Amino acid sequence: MICAARFLEALQRHGVTDVVGLPDNASAALFALLAGGGGGVRLRTVSREGEAFALASGLWLGGGRPLVLIQNTGLLESGDGLRGTAMRMRIPLVCVITYRGHARMMRTLGGVPPARDAALLGRPDLDSVALLTEPTLDAWGVPHERLDGEGDLPRLHAAFARSEELGGPVALLLTCDLRAGEAAC
Amino acid sequence: MLTKDEVLAPLAALRTDQVVVTTMGMVRPWGRHSTHPLDFASADSAMGHAADLALGIALAQPARTVVCLNGDGSMLMSLGTLAVAVEQRARNLVLFVVRNDTYEITGNQPVPGARCVDFALLARGAGFPSVHGFDDAADYRRRLPEVLAAAGPTFVVVRTEPGHEAPLSRGPQEAAAYLGDSLAEAAHRLRRALAALRAS
Repeated sequence: MICAARFLEALQRHGVTDVVGLPDNASAALFALLAGGGGGVRLRTVSREGEAFALASGLWLGGGRPLVLIQNTGLLESGDGLRGTAMRMRIPLVCVITYRGHARMMRTLGGVPPARDAALLGRPDLDSVALLTEPTLDAWGVPHERLDGEGDLPRLHAAFARSEELGGPVALLLTCDLRAGEAAC
Repeated sequence: MLTKDEVLAPLAALRTDQVVVTTMGMVRPWGRHSTHPLDFASADSAMGHAADLALGIALAQPARTVVCLNGDGSMLMSLGTLAVAVEQRARNLVLFVVRNDTYEITGNQPVPGARCVDFALLARGAGFPSVHGFDDAADYRRRLPEVLAAAGPTFVVVRTEPGHEAPLSRGPQEAAAYLGDSLAEAAHRLRRALAALRAS
């Protein structure tokens, strides 16, 4: 669990101007904070995830420093939007991707399986999107690290530095929920 | 029905400091009307993503009008952007749909809903406060200044004759100046140009 307010503070420290994406249960608390004002970080909710990469690319062209926040299912939806805008335009862009199905994959398989086939992707005891997330990022050459808890927040700094160095997207895979409220923070 | 030149010449004549984003069948024709540093060709990129790219520029540059010359096939790929533009109150976005009912670059195959989809109604339904439709060149020329001056987001659909544009590329083989460099170089150039204008 990561406190959503701490996460937002980290975005503010790194000069993020806009969060572009779609909410899911893991990111809902941050979307709520952003919708309530966001302390100068603007919320840009999109209608589909591929749109997030194009809109974020436009924000960057216009002088902003956007961050994309989507679920891993949306990453799979984003293919050509990611390729044809942020990647092709060499835009330094940090993407936080909530990792649906990660816990069950770890419990059941102990990690990302080295190969996939129809039988594995069809197993009812696994969420197939988890099996495809890291291999998809690897196939596209998008560097990625996990955010497993609040102690990993410094990885945001490294992700911003890496995206600037590479001139391209870098992904952070969020395996826990962003939470609101005293107990979380 | 208008020709592309009848759509673009009046727009180029009125254009001052707006960003103009083009895509697909409008890229080369606009390049024959303009060599402005704030022109950007969404070519060698991702089909269907010119409107949301332009929306992002508009949101980052609220004091500057951003015009997007989109096609009908491209617009059909990203209808959700209509809702997002309204939700984000992009008053400075002018989104054209240059409607020829075909996928021109690939040989003018009909788009889904050719001659049937009402783009103006879709834009109104999404909440666009300023929606305009044209199929007559004189009417378009006469009303374009008020269209560009309206509080947006503004949506403009223009019935246009299909052309015969070949697939797009980027590099010195292309006559249009803004296709002379790579998509990445063009993107970074536009960001620098907008930053310089903001600083001045």
